[in-house]
Amino acid sequence: MDLITVTRKEGLAFDVRVRGHRLTCDMSEKDGGRDEGPSPAEMLAGSLGACVAMMVQRYCDNHGYTDGDVCASLTLELADNPKRIGGIVIDLELPNDFPEDRKSAVKRLAELCPIHETLKHLPKVDLEIT
Amino acid sequence: MAIAELGGKQIEIDEDGFIQDPNAWDEEVAKSLAGTEGVAELTEDHWKVVNYLREYYLEFNMAPMIRKLCKTTGFKLKEIYDLFPSGPAKGACKVAGLPKPTGCV
Repeated sequence: MDLITVTRKEGLAFDVRVRGHRLTCDMSEKDGGRDEGPSPAEMLAGSLGACVAMMVQRYCDNHGYTDGDVCASLTLELADNPKRIGGIVIDLELPNDFPEDRKSAVKRLAELCPIHETLKHLPKVDLEIT
Repeated sequence: MAIAELGGKQIEIDEDGFIQDPNAWDEEVAKSLAGTEGVAELTEDHWKVVNYLREYYLEFNMAPMIRKLCKTTGFKLKEIYDLFPSGPAKGACKVAGLPKPTGCV
């Protein structure tokens, strides 16, 4: 696993770097940031969407369903006490030639992607002040 | 709390523009609130969402889950965002006169 570093850019904006890639994470202006990038919560949802989409796209490619691409639309449902993401809603679009009778199978496949599994089986987060 | 003129009435709103008394809502208020959420005109599709949210809230005293909103209205998630660019919670619920949704993540 490559090292991921998160360093301050300005204000509440932080750069997330790994393997030479850089993503800026920020809060919206309404929430005190400068909106230079997605919020951490949006990145989490985006990560799930990307993982689901990659897994299903690979399935479609391997089975020759090539009339269009996989596309995921997501949104968050928020919860309080403690403040958190209470739910993630995903609409997954499939290639036009994807057969109707395979949709329930691909839904089960999507639910087995590593990020989805991670959210179902919560990892231990080991944080130390160094 | 501030007072805003919405639909020709003086109505109490919170810091995010959600009306405080659901009973103060009517269609003219909805049209004014829509303007604050980047919706220039409330079409039949907008009203389908707004009316469902309002009916659900008046029956259960809470907003429906987003998936239920999609299934009942027949709109995909992306279509809900096409109608209400600020989303089902902050956009559609505000226009429907519901209280501000929980939290801010």
